[in-house]
Amino acid sequence: MRFLNLFRLVSMFLLVVFAATTLNFFLPRLIGTDPVAERISAIAETGGGNVDIEAMSQAYRERLGLGDTLWSQYLSYLGDIARFDFGFSIANYPVTVNELMAQALPWTIGLMLTATLIAFAIGSLLGALTVWPHAPRIFANLTPAIMVLGAIPFYILGLLLIDIFAFRLGWFPIGGGYPIGARPAVTFDFALDVLRHAMLPGLSIVLAAIGVWALQMRGMIVTVLGEDYVTFAEAKGVRPTRLFFRYGMRNAILPQLTTLALTFGQIVTGAVLVEVVFGYPGLGTLLFQSIGYSDFFVIQGVVFVLVLTVAISMLIMDIVLPILDPRLRG
Amino acid sequence: MSASVQTYRRRSRFVMTWGYMRRNPSLLIGSLMFVALIGTAIVAHFVYDVSQYQPLSVMPSQPPSAELPFGSDTQGRDLFASVARGTVLTLGIGLIAGGLGLLIGGTLGFISGYFGGWVDTTIKLVVDVLLTVPALLVLVIVASAVGELPPMGMAFVIALLAWRRPARQIRSQVLVLRNAGFVQTARISGCGPFTIIFKEILPNLLPFLAASFTVAVSAAILASVGLEALGLGSQNAPTLGMTVFWMMNFSALMLGMWWWVLTPIAVLIILFVSLYLITAGLDELANPRLRRRA
Amino acid sequence: MTTVTSMSADLDADPAIDRVPSDAAPVLQVEGLAVDFFADGRTVHAVRGVSFDLAKGRRLGVVGESGSGKTTTALALMRMIKAPGRIVSGRATVGGTDLFALSDAEMRMERMRTVSYIPQGAMNSLNPVYRIEEQFFDAMIDHGDGASRSDLRLRVAEALASVDLPSDVMRLYPHELSGGMKQRVCIAIGIILSPKLIIADEPTSALDVITQRQVMSTLDKVQNRIGAAMILIGHDIGLMAQSVDELMVMRDGVIEERGSIDRIFAVPEAAYTKLLIDSVPVFDRKPARAKAQAAATSDAAPLLELSGVSKTYGTSIFSKGKIALHPMSLRMPSDRPSIVAIVGQSGSGKTTLGQLALGLLPPTTGTIRFAGAPVTGLSARDQRSFRRDVQAIFQDPYSSFNPFYKVDHAFTVPLKELGFGISGQARSELIAEACAQVGLDPTLILGRFPHELSGGQRQRLMVARALILKPRLIVADEPVSMVDASQRASILANVQALKDNYSISVIYITHDLATAYQVSDFVIVLQNGHVVEAGPPEDVIGASKHPYTRLLINSIPWPDPNRPWASADELDNGPAAPSGAETFAPALHSFSGGVELEVPE
Repeated sequence: MRFLNLFRLVSMFLLVVFAATTLNFFLPRLIGTDPVAERISAIAETGGGNVDIEAMSQAYRERLGLGDTLWSQYLSYLGDIARFDFGFSIANYPVTVNELMAQALPWTIGLMLTATLIAFAIGSLLGALTVWPHAPRIFANLTPAIMVLGAIPFYILGLLLIDIFAFRLGWFPIGGGYPIGARPAVTFDFALDVLRHAMLPGLSIVLAAIGVWALQMRGMIVTVLGEDYVTFAEAKGVRPTRLFFRYGMRNAILPQLTTLALTFGQIVTGAVLVEVVFGYPGLGTLLFQSIGYSDFFVIQGVVFVLVLTVAISMLIMDIVLPILDPRLRG
Repeated sequence: MSASVQTYRRRSRFVMTWGYMRRNPSLLIGSLMFVALIGTAIVAHFVYDVSQYQPLSVMPSQPPSAELPFGSDTQGRDLFASVARGTVLTLGIGLIAGGLGLLIGGTLGFISGYFGGWVDTTIKLVVDVLLTVPALLVLVIVASAVGELPPMGMAFVIALLAWRRPARQIRSQVLVLRNAGFVQTARISGCGPFTIIFKEILPNLLPFLAASFTVAVSAAILASVGLEALGLGSQNAPTLGMTVFWMMNFSALMLGMWWWVLTPIAVLIILFVSLYLITAGLDELANPRLRRRA
Repeated sequence: MTTVTSMSADLDADPAIDRVPSDAAPVLQVEGLAVDFFADGRTVHAVRGVSFDLAKGRRLGVVGESGSGKTTTALALMRMIKAPGRIVSGRATVGGTDLFALSDAEMRMERMRTVSYIPQGAMNSLNPVYRIEEQFFDAMIDHGDGASRSDLRLRVAEALASVDLPSDVMRLYPHELSGGMKQRVCIAIGIILSPKLIIADEPTSALDVITQRQVMSTLDKVQNRIGAAMILIGHDIGLMAQSVDELMVMRDGVIEERGSIDRIFAVPEAAYTKLLIDSVPVFDRKPARAKAQAAATSDAAPLLELSGVSKTYGTSIFSKGKIALHPMSLRMPSDRPSIVAIVGQSGSGKTTLGQLALGLLPPTTGTIRFAGAPVTGLSARDQRSFRRDVQAIFQDPYSSFNPFYKVDHAFTVPLKELGFGISGQARSELIAEACAQVGLDPTLILGRFPHELSGGQRQRLMVARALILKPRLIVADEPVSMVDASQRASILANVQALKDNYSISVIYITHDLATAYQVSDFVIVLQNGHVVEAGPPEDVIGASKHPYTRLLINSIPWPDPNRPWASADELDNGPAAPSGAETFAPALHSFSGGVELEVPE
């Protein structure tokens, strides 16, 4: 039973990754343009600068298997993806896509993971307190502010924060991951600089995501409040804090985690745009720059890595949920 | 009890609607904000020269003044004209993409939920898998393959994936209503599947569908603004997302042009917040359990 | 899945017999209790001027329909009225403690220790994510029980033993328990701090009659053991007659009548009380039935014929599925109308049988014929004529009407879809007439939305709706189980009239043997998809041979305080675990009044 369940989860995971890569392959081709060929010929027309065009177009002809059938192109594409081989960057040939992503990934993971977890914790608690009957009145009054925060896209909030805290007040740097000219090193000063630079992008993800989580939690708690076990717990004379955490939050968090899995894709997307706004040296900014250069292989690589991240988080969520909910243990 | 029912029945529809709106402030405030924003944008088309959204129409880099209410950017675009035109364009993208998404998703949801069987199993699996895929990122690939997307193209690209959430939500609603007592009554009254779907189930889902629609529109707008801010929109269409893109691309903040930064932000915030409030209000209408506690 | 099904029932002392005398000092005194709800600028008086007192060890029943204020009264004593409701006046003291004068924190301590509440809907009353023991610990620790876990466990084991549950139940999660066991756990939690007053709010409403009987015995026993006073809230006056010393009848937030249970059943003062008592069907009060006509076998095809019909759900390549109905054959005569009652608990297959007869489900094996023609795989035209002939009344009158339309919709749709070709003035008159036939005033009913009508009114409309199509057979699936008690008798009379006045045959599906006895010509008792007994009601219910039927009959709470419930022995020796149904299914061949039933060996 247990094994069967794990098998189901893993096959779902593989199916998601497979579906995403397949979409990535076919959707652009459905439209009928060959972005790579166009891009390469565009570079050739402009003289190509310092890039060795002959070598590059040769590499791509081989890689794309141009002249082969669509089906064999698709198979070799799947094979490349399975080996995490995304090829070379068009704009920075012969730098590989993997090299570019390896530089960017730690920044993104550090920022996004921390911000998402903080936002989830604070947002869930705050949302629960806005409708919990015995909570201080102030939380209920926060609801409109939370609604506004939850409705604003992350990066729009980011722009607003830059304007106020970086530009007008000058408390934080305007963008980047660390000061221009500083060399990344494992020193206390550098770490402090990194933290200062991460503050505003982090805050804009946290603030906007708090709104999203709080609003969802609010709905969950309203449902849980109607459950008989909460009424019975009150009749049992359980202490108010225990009632809140062990009967209210503990049960409302379960559907909240399922929703977390479902909305994770949106959060990742939102965070990508926040990076762009702040010029943060992560995957989002890499994606933005690659779009500017029509660097199609980098775009594909970044998107694949982000899709994989979302799918892995969902897999983890699915495995963790039965630990928290005895009803799901088969 | 029966006396109050009588008075309730006698009140006119308008009074009832107004009475409901007062008890549902989200819907009221959201609708007012939305109407004010869209109304202003539309009226501007008649009383203002909105063609000044084009570069070099006015003096560049001007702060707000009597002639240029929201100022102008470094390319000489009139920002008021840009957002007036952009609001209409962006809302149009949202309505088309959201509408298509709801239409396709709703059809799939109804088929899947009502008929069940292997059709349902297939649709449910496809939707569940696709829902996990971050839509905007897939759209980035599509859009970057196409190159510059005019507003209409943008709407269709977004509609490619906009049907997933409505399909899932409507399916689960239909699944519940399919077994409702009144559907059983209709079945033994000789109604066929289509009569049941359109005359029995659909009317009961109207508030829910309305909420789904505003969610879909809002999500489509979010996606379009996101794609355009990443530089995937059309350079010639002054959508709200393109205004954000220009502002970021020319580093308006560094130049100290606060009006350039704040104008699109303010419009987008009003748009998203009003759509959110309308959705919340419609949710309350569709699902009385979420009703505000006193 | 480790669901515990077996339980050691220790019911030797029947507590219903040793009742405590009433001259003891009252432990609970309630004076002038009033609760208001404030909504949309209006005030609803949910409870007004409720005063009563209750002595140690005594049991008070509070009976009334939904909205009568009985649960609100109970919640007021717990000080658990939620906004927008508020206790506006009154006093309530338990053992000298004035409950309404306490601070919130003080009141919290009194809950469970002084007054405990055993909730309705035990299915969801336990926190699904914690083990049973945790649900005891939470309450014990928050009442200052600082003892070690092992000491707490000992006391939990003791409490579980007192409700006849083994101590290893404490290590399980709620979803691993059956409904009856969950309700026992709730009782055990309610008494673990030995409160002075127990309020049990419809503790058995979600349980079947057999489990209800067992849970009520347990409740009586533990109440006696700790010597608390008890308030039992319910809507079933039969259950009250078997369980309480005093009865309080509530209606629209006020006390209609209060007195000893014997006095109230002997000479009810309020007309409403009398109505409630009379509405409970009993075997003795059988209406005079038209003498079954001589069994003149006619050659005409039977009205309804099931041949070797069975139904299995959920068959797939992974699973053999669950058998909902084992093979059976049934014939209803076409030359005279008859009422066949299908009796059984939930999960017995009775609703499946009804759906098969309606042609809403295809049988897994066998064939179903109506007037000689098969009922599945019909052409659109035959389907229409079948629908005209076979109609239904469903269990839940609250969901049978589409809330989007006025109730007239339920009449106009079948008239149009089934090709009656009738409209305008003629149609309106027909509908009005049908309403009048079931005792409804069409001018007050038609043109309204469903939510404006009571459950009873809606269910009568469903009868009228079936009537208007002039069918030959009506499947009535639990038509009165969700209707307020005072309405039941008249709706059953409507069902009876279908046969007597309109010559319509009826398949009456119910869990209630008493009403089956009253209205039917032929009774089929189902258990786990097997027919265990069948025949005329006088034989099956009046002199049942099968132990399961007897168990069902004996579990019915008789609306007569002087006629005690089945003794505990009888329940113990009965087939407590219905899993062994196979052994009770004999080969049956039954024939009576033109109805024939066959069950293959």
